[in-house]
Formats: sequence, structure tokens, C-alpha cells
Amino acid sequence: MATLNEKKTCSERMENFRRFVWNPETKLFMGRTLINWVWISLYYLAFYVVMTGLFALSIYSLMRTVNPYEPDYQDQLKSPGVTLRPDVYGDRGLQIYYNTSENKTWERLVTTLQTFLTAYTPAAQHLNINCTGDKYFIQDTFDGPNNTKLSCKFTSDMLQNCSGITDPTFGFPEGKPCFIIKMNRIIKFYPGNGTAPRVDCTYVGDESRPLEVDYYPANGTFNLHYFPYYGKKAQPTYSNPLVAVKFLNLTRNVELKIVCKIIGAGITFDNVHDPYEGKVEFKLKIED
Amino acid sequence: MKKEMDVDDHKLELPDLEAKYSTSITKGLVGAVAAERLLRDGPNELRPPRGTPECVKFGRQLAGGLQCLMWVAAAICLIAYGVQEGQGDRGSADNLYLAIALIAVVVVTGCFGYYQEFKSTNIIASFKNLVPQQATVIREGDKLQINANELVVGDLVEIKGGDRVPADIRIISAQGCKVDNSSLTGESEPQTRSPECTHDSPLETRNIAFFSTMCLEAGPHPDTQASPAGTATGLVINTGDRTIIGRIASLASGVENEKTPIAIEIEHFVDIIAGLAIFFGATFFVVAMVIGYPFLRAMVFFMAIVVAYVPEGLLATVTVCLSLTAKRLARKNCVVKNLEAVETLGSTSVICSDKTGTLTQNRMTVAHLWFDNQIHTADTTEDQSGQSFDQSSETWTLLSRVVTLCNRAQFKAGQENIPVAKREVIGDASETALLKFAEVTVGTVSEARGRFPKVAELPFNSTNKFQLSVHAAGDRQLLVLKGAPERVLERCSTVMIKGQELPLDAQWREAFEGAYADLGGRGERVLGFCARWLPAGTVAAGTDPEALPEVAVGLCFAGLVAMIDPPRATVPRAVLKCRTAGIRVIMVTGDHPITAKAIAAAVGIISEGSETPEDVAARLRVPLEQVDPRQARARVVTGAELAGMEPGVLEGILRAHPEMVFARTSPQQKLVIVESCQRLGAIVAVTGDGVNDSPALKRADIGVAMGIAGSDAAKNAADMILLDDNFASIVTGVEQGRLIFDNLKKSIAYTLTKNIPELTPYLIYITASVPLPLGCITILFIELCTDIFPSVSLAYERAESDIMHLKPRNPRRDRLVNEPLAAYSYFQIGAIQSFAGFTDYFVAMAQEGWWPLLCLGLRPRWEDTHEQELQDSYGQQWTFEQRRYQQYTCYTVFFISIEMCQIADVLIRKTRRLSLLQQGLFRNHILVIAIVFQVSIGCFLCYCPGMPNIFNFMPIRFQWWFVPMPFGLLILIYDEIRKLGVRRHPGSWWDRELYY
Repeated sequence: MATLNEKKTCSERMENFRRFVWNPETKLFMGRTLINWVWISLYYLAFYVVMTGLFALSIYSLMRTVNPYEPDYQDQLKSPGVTLRPDVYGDRGLQIYYNTSENKTWERLVTTLQTFLTAYTPAAQHLNINCTGDKYFIQDTFDGPNNTKLSCKFTSDMLQNCSGITDPTFGFPEGKPCFIIKMNRIIKFYPGNGTAPRVDCTYVGDESRPLEVDYYPANGTFNLHYFPYYGKKAQPTYSNPLVAVKFLNLTRNVELKIVCKIIGAGITFDNVHDPYEGKVEFKLKIED
Repeated sequence: MKKEMDVDDHKLELPDLEAKYSTSITKGLVGAVAAERLLRDGPNELRPPRGTPECVKFGRQLAGGLQCLMWVAAAICLIAYGVQEGQGDRGSADNLYLAIALIAVVVVTGCFGYYQEFKSTNIIASFKNLVPQQATVIREGDKLQINANELVVGDLVEIKGGDRVPADIRIISAQGCKVDNSSLTGESEPQTRSPECTHDSPLETRNIAFFSTMCLEAGPHPDTQASPAGTATGLVINTGDRTIIGRIASLASGVENEKTPIAIEIEHFVDIIAGLAIFFGATFFVVAMVIGYPFLRAMVFFMAIVVAYVPEGLLATVTVCLSLTAKRLARKNCVVKNLEAVETLGSTSVICSDKTGTLTQNRMTVAHLWFDNQIHTADTTEDQSGQSFDQSSETWTLLSRVVTLCNRAQFKAGQENIPVAKREVIGDASETALLKFAEVTVGTVSEARGRFPKVAELPFNSTNKFQLSVHAAGDRQLLVLKGAPERVLERCSTVMIKGQELPLDAQWREAFEGAYADLGGRGERVLGFCARWLPAGTVAAGTDPEALPEVAVGLCFAGLVAMIDPPRATVPRAVLKCRTAGIRVIMVTGDHPITAKAIAAAVGIISEGSETPEDVAARLRVPLEQVDPRQARARVVTGAELAGMEPGVLEGILRAHPEMVFARTSPQQKLVIVESCQRLGAIVAVTGDGVNDSPALKRADIGVAMGIAGSDAAKNAADMILLDDNFASIVTGVEQGRLIFDNLKKSIAYTLTKNIPELTPYLIYITASVPLPLGCITILFIELCTDIFPSVSLAYERAESDIMHLKPRNPRRDRLVNEPLAAYSYFQIGAIQSFAGFTDYFVAMAQEGWWPLLCLGLRPRWEDTHEQELQDSYGQQWTFEQRRYQQYTCYTVFFISIEMCQIADVLIRKTRRLSLLQQGLFRNHILVIAIVFQVSIGCFLCYCPGMPNIFNFMPIRFQWWFVPMPFGLLILIYDEIRKLGVRRHPGSWWDRELYY
């Protein structure tokens, strides 16, 4: 096979390559004549136009078949996620550290809460209705304006001491901070099976150690009339109900690990793969 | 390297020789001197060729082009893991996981390759068997038995029949010593060894016996007083690696192992793939950097693109396909040592075949008889199935009696139940042939000999050139004589024609000359037979044999018997098949030109009507010099002519004459012939059996050794071994080799296609920032798990046309992977598969709540581990982990899409030109099983519990399996249209661009 693998010098290789790019004798540009390049390009152009057309057609018919109000499947949304405000992330998950004597360290946190609650002012909620019944607010018809469904009002004053109205600092300087717990929305999810789900905060790994907590609204429940959620298109003004947690007696200068779970039928908080499903864990350290 | 041997010891007189080696030809060496020389020259044994250390071989398997890329990818993964771990990032264990997977892939495929190589190099132990165990040596006047490896130059040794010659020996005295040089020169005729220098060339002269050749056992002489034959004493002139055989062995190991065409093809193509992978990776690395990704992310993209683009399973597929064919060949008596040789055989354009044993049966057989002034043809078939001649003539009775009686060969005992042709015989080749011939045509020889007991005998010798014996026959004595025809005729006064004794006049002499020349011209060895009735008591028992010739005059000529080593029955068909397949068969033999030419003509290497320049000269009655070589298709070149040729002349001859026979060639010349063919661009297969063939076997693109007759050295140097020594098996090999080339092409096309749907997800991911549609682990599963079996199953595909009617492929032009193949696989079928994957991806995303437009640009928030409430198109909020499982769902959906399209792909790859319906959709059962297997694996990966967290496969909704099916159907239809165009318009633009 000596004939097939003779060694070529670098200049020969370059010459061969140059010849490949443009061969003046055969008028070949990169192995083809120019007209041949035009033909092959046209062929590929046509091929891709057809293929893109087919693809567009598939996506078009997909969008024609999907339901605009609710997704066909909710395979990953078996149980809602839970989030915390203020949300400051450290090395491993949520980590809220502040110093009562240094205003700057907690003002940031307070601002986060205030900004978050602007969506819950009466003005922001004026399109929503007041609900009183403590049961699921099931709507089979579109009773709202513009062919929508109605949403229940949730205003920040329902959070009482943690509403930011009476105490604009949310208790942070006193070392009795307020945290807001929110449950993610899932369409047509009925949490608690008739009883309102409630928030329960404990120390991580030591549930018997008492943690003095005030929940707002009372008992830390999410009222059932906020459920089910009918989706963005049906309930454009829907806002998630909140529960505020005020820690009353926290040891200073120690990192505390706290978990707030949502207790209620249909909400799981023991999924090892998802730390934010049905619960939220965070580290808290108050220095003075 | 190719220098002829430069030994001149055969020309020296004995005293000079004694002086040269400071020894004594009577007493031998002094022990101390011998010990000193042993220390100086080393033991008298062949050093096995030095092999590459095992660890280096293994290392090479881990450091191929693709493997290096994988190492780089693994390193990037590890770095990314380290950095992300340092930053306390969640989910970075994926990178560690991937790095381990990549390293495992490289190591496992490396082990696989190493195992294959290990198996192929260890089939045959090396030159060990060549070394004789014991030798009789005379030192200080005493006869000693020592280990042959302790022999030194100057030692005086004795050899006798049945021994292997322990070193290169200059014969000092000999009695009836014959050696079998066939392992060295390929000549099967035993050679007499005697003290005289008979030739300038050390290889031809009689007074040198070579290391490792056999000293033959002499025939039995129960009733003669002849001196014990088959002994010799000689002086050791060369030992170990300096012997002729040692030099040939080192010549063999000095010849570099050539890369096989398929290895070159694969290398060529791996280089391109690796280059493209780096090109794509680097391009998107730059694109990612420009778009504003951090450096580390861009590196991870680079890694992912490399993993997506490199066909990890390809080398394994090729190896498995080749070993399947090797297995298939093994069932047909071709054992392939080097897997890649399978394909080499398919691209072979020249076969340099040995004559003896490969083309012929390697046994002297009576081919023709001349009696009653007529040439009769004997049956030369291996199984005695041919036609016999008319045996009614009385001349035949006499001739057969002479043949039976004037013969010293005899069957070994206890072989009555074995067919005559297979019985073992004590005696030389021609006597064996005559014995077997007599046994078959006349009946039990021993019985006939019993009826005519031998009275006296004169064995054959080179001065008389005949052999005679006198037998008692009742009240008369029968003198029978056979020998060289002209010598026999000298002693005859009558000739027997149809039972009548007629005077031997000029007319009969002319008839005799004619018949003799005719048979001799057929390359046959001719013996004359005659007899005479004597009155009882003419020759007394115990008469001096030397007195016998005086009695043997005025004999009656019975006939001529011509013998030849006949061609194997299957060979002419095989040679014809080679011819139709565009393969040139060249005969290279150590035998006589006339015999070589006759056999070549008999098997069709020289076809009917072809003439050599000599034939043309004879026909036109002009001198040889005036013959235009172009008039002669055939040519016989002898070793002597070859030795006198200028470099380059041989190439010219090979080009000018399509039918070539080389006779009387030496091992070096065989090498030169092979190299000349290779310089003409041919892929050369060489067959051989002797040690002398091993350099050529090694130099050849594919060396084929004979399993039965082959020496270990030949088997060691060869790439393939024919277990039945049959040339026809090579043709089977060629057919299989061509088929596997076609099928490998299909297999590779299949394997390459899916690299595009594996690559495009990353490209779209980087440029359009959609959530990642396909993960690296999933890609590895496609490459190494689900798609291996279907791609291997294509090796079982039958040929689309009669591949043995095509010319051998041109290794420069007909590449394994050509531009149309790559373009069609990548940019057409691969593109359709990508569209299928993305359609399914968007369906799965939209049905779970993420509409296509939302997906675009979603990536930064989607992958933000701190984002636990990302809203989908319906306003639902997702945690990071929920999104991650959704992403795995996408991986799985994309995976299933590729699998569905690959089913269509494997179906279209069954044929390159024919319609699928012409080829038969389900005729390749293995392929059907492979598809079922592929789907089952897909189901297992999707629906086995625990998969989401181990291999990132999610149990996807059943209907998502169907989304890519229309695209699969599109692939089938599109390819049928392509094939239709290719069939309808051969040579058109369509054919050039779309036929691979």
C-alpha cells in the first residue's frame, strides 16, 4: 500500500488544498463547477424550504390542538412548590443573615417584602372579588368580564402584623422578622381535600424543639376559596394567597435552620429530589 | 534487505574450510573453543521477532483520534464539575457523571479493540517449532548428543534420515542423503546432498544443507546390500539468525506490516470526523462567547458538541461487522487473523499464488501414459471420479507389470481401509505416484510383488538414470527397467504394440520422440518403462547389482508414463471467477518454467489462446527478440531473468502482459514481484506455505497461508489461513470481503445519520436559548446501546447485485465514506430526523404547559437553580426540579424521535440502489430482530422505574412515540424516490449527487 499512504510535505498539502479550492484546469471550485454549486445549493434550498414548511405545519397544527385554558398534562406538577420572601440565596439554598444594629443589612430584606406586597395592595386587587366562603371556589362558567373567571381578592392587610402597614420594617430590627410563604399555582389543583392547607414552621431535624411563631392569616391557612386556579387566560388577575410567618423568639448570633411545610392532603413535602416541593427550607441568622 | 545470500563456503576446498573455521573435519572442534564461540555467537536458535510491548498496544487503543477527543471532553467535564462544585452549584454532579461515562466508553472500547488485536496476534506461536531438539556432534573426536541450540560455527555434525538439519551445513561426506527443501524454495522434489559443489548459488548447490530442512528417510531395502542411505556429515557454517532461514525470518520481520485498506479508510474518515467535531465545537464555543455565555459554560457547550458529533459506537460497529464476516469465513475454511484483512480481500486486485499445494494437489500423480503409439489420459482427480483409459491392450498388461515391479516404494502397514490416494507411502514422489497408480488401476501391488519375488536389484542413481530389478516368474525371470526415457530407449531393441513385439525402427523412434516431447511440453515428468523375459537362472540371487546393466540390453519397450502434480479440481472455476471479478491471478513458483506454464494453462491463469512471446516466436518462426511483447498476452518469467532486470522493467512487463507466471523464483524475488504489483496501485494478496514465502506474505496487503502444508513461519506472517489449502476458498473470501465493504458503507451511513439530530439540539439550545432538548447521557445511550445492534445487523444484508461481476474497488476513488454519503446522511436524512425530534420536543413541551414561543429565550431562567416559581404559558409556577424532570421528558421524547427515525433509517440503508421492495423488507431476519430489540430497549429505558434519576429517562406519554412516525415515513418515501432516480437515470446529476 505504499502507493496510498505516501508522506506528503506541508507545502504539497497546501498546494493540494489550494488546488481543491480552485482548480484552474478543470474549473472546479471546491470539487465542483460553479454551475454545479448553484444546482446543489438550489436543491438544498428547496429541500430545506419544504422541510421547514412541514415543520411549521406541524407546529401550527400543534398549537391548534392545545387547549388555551389548561395544559393537556401536568405530569411534573403533582404537588406545588413553595417559595419564601425575602429570598436571598447563599452557598446552599436560601440564607437570610442580618444584623439588627446595621440597618443596611436588613433594609434590603424589608424592601424585598415591600416590593413583593405591592401586588397585594387594594388598588392592585380591585378587579378581584371579595370571597367569604371557606370552600373551593369552583366556577364552571365564565362569569367574569371579557369571558374570564373570577378571582378572589387577597390584600396585604390580611397579613396583619406582617402586612407592612402597621410595622413597615416587618419586625426585622426587633429580631422578630416576618417571612412570607407562597404556594405555587397549579391549574385545577385542589389542595387539602376540603380542609384548608396550613403552614407549619419548625427547626430542621428537631421538630420537638419549640419555635415561637405567629401565623397570619390566623393558623397559617390558605383559604380554600383561592382554589382551584383556572389558568392565566381564565383568571388573568389571580394572585396567590400568602401566609406570613413571624418568628417571635429567635436565638441571636446562631445560624438557625428552619423549614416551613404546607400541611394538607395532596401536598407532599417528602420528595427527596425536590427541596422546594411542599416546603421551603432556609437558614436564618440574626446578629446584634 | 533484499540482497541475495552471500555464502561462498560451498566453493571452498575442505582444507580451506578447515582453516576458515579453524576446525578439523575428522575430529571436530575442541570443547573450549566451542564454548567460546557459543558465547560469541549466541545460541543456535531463531530469535522470535520482537513485538510491541503489551502496554504500548493497549495505550494505542486509548489514544486514537476519537478517543483523544473523548478524553478532552471528559477533562472539560471534570473541570466544569470542579469549578461548579467550588461555586456550590446544584446539579453539577451531572458533569462528573458524564465524565465518568465518557472515560468508561473510551476504556471499554479500548479493551474491546485490544482484545481483538490480542486474539489476532496470538493465534500462532512463532518460529519455535523450527528448532531441532537434539543434534549429533563430533567434538575432539567423540560423538556427542547435544541440544541443537548449543551448536556453533565449525562444529562437525552428523545427520541421518528423519532429522531436521540443525544448522546451515557444508556437507563433507554423504551417503544417499536427500533433503526436502520445500520449506525454503517451495520445490517439493527431494534434493540429493553430496560433497561436490555443483552450482555457484549456495541455494542451488548440493553441498550445503539448510537449517530446519528435513533430511529424508530412505526407502526400505530389505534385500539389497546397499550402504545405509540417508546419512551425511557436515561442518556447521552458520547458526541461529545467520542461517539462510534465519535471514528469511528476519527479512519477514523487517518487512513492515502494511496498513490495510480498510484501516486507511477508517483512519481517513475518523480524521474528518474528529476535524469536523473540533470545527463545530470551536465555532459554537466562539458563538457562545460572543452571545455572552461565561467561559466555563462555553467550554461545556464545546464538550457537549464533541460528544454529540463523535460517533462513539462506530469503531465497535466496524469491529463487530468485520468479526462477523471473519466468523462466516472461518466456516468456509478461511481463518482470518487480522480482522481488517476481511475487507482487504474484497479490494484485492492481484493474487500472487503459489503453485504447489495451492493450485495443485501437492502430490505427484500419473497423468498420461503412452503405449500402443497413443497417449492415454489417466484419472488425476482427487477422489478418482474421472474417466479411466482403455486397459484391454496386452501392452498395458506388460507396462502395468513393469510399473508394479520396478518400484521400491511401498505402503505403510495397516492402511487397507484407507482410500489409496490418502495412504501414506515410504518412497520418493514419483515412485509413490506410480505405486498408487498401480494400486488403483491393476489391483493390490503387494500381491503382484509376491507372485514375482525380487531376485536382484539396481537402485536408481544419477549416473545410470535408470533403475532395474529382476524377478522370478515361475520358470522364467522377468527383468524390468524404468528410467529417463532416452536412457531406457538406448537399451531397447523392440517395442510392444498391441501385444506384438515389433522391431524398434526409425519410425517408432520418431513416434517415441514425438510422444516424449509432447508429454515433456506439458510440464510432466516422463519415465520410460521396458522389460525382457530371461530364462530361469540368468541372474542368480545375490548378484552384484553393478553387473546387472550388462544383462539389461535388447529390451522390449513397453511405454512412457508421465506424472504431474495435477491442479485441484476447484481451481479452474475459482480462477475464472477471479477473472470475472476483475482480479488478476499471477503464479509465482519455485518450480520449472515448463511445469509452471503447463499448470497455469491447466487452471486458466494462462487462458486458452493466450500466447507467450516464445509461443509467438515459434508460431511466426522469428527469433524471440523480434516478437512484439504486446502480441503476447501471457508471459513466463524465470528467476534468472528477473535477477537481470533493471528496476522498473518488471512493472512494465506486469503492465504489458495480463497473464503472468513467475518460475524458479527466490524468496527475495517474490518480495520484489509483490512490491512491483503494489507500485502499480494494486492491492495484492499473496498465498504461500513455506518459510521462504513469509517475507512476501508479510509485504502483501493480505498474506494467505496454507493451513495444512503451511509452515509456522508462513502462518505467522499471514493475515489469513486457508484451512483446506484450497485456492477456491480465497474467492469465497473475496466475495465476503466485497460484501462487507458494501455493508460497512451502509452501516456507517446509518451510524453517521443520527449525529445530526444529536448535534442540532445543542445548536438550537445555544443560539435560540430553548431548554436543552437532548442530554449527553442520552446521546451516549443512542450511540452505544440502542443503535449498535441495528447497525451491526446491516452486516447481514445480502448483496444488491452480483458483486463478483464488478471490478475490484479502486482504493483511491471508491472510498468507504464519500462525499455523497456524508452529505446525504448529514444534511438530508439527518435533517429530517432533527425536524422530527424538534417537533416531538415542542409537542411534549406545549402539552405540559410550555408553548414554543415561550421556550425561545427561556434558557437562562429555566436553568436558574434559584428560580422556584417560573411561570409557564398557563400561569402555573414550576420549581427548578419540576423543570428538570420536564427537561428529562424532552430528552426522552427526543431520544424516542431519533429511535423512530432510525428505524426508518436502517430500513432505507438496506439498499443503496435497489428499491426496498426488491431487496425484501423482512428478508434480513437479524435486522428485524434488531429493530424489535431497539424498540424494547427504548421501552425499557423509558418505563423502567428509577430511570429518571439514574439515566435521565422519563416515562413519557404513549402518544409522543407517534409524533416522529410521519417523519420516519417521509424518510422511507424520500429515499425510495432517491433510489428510483438513481436507477432510472444512471450517470445523471441526481445519480452523482445522491448515490453513495
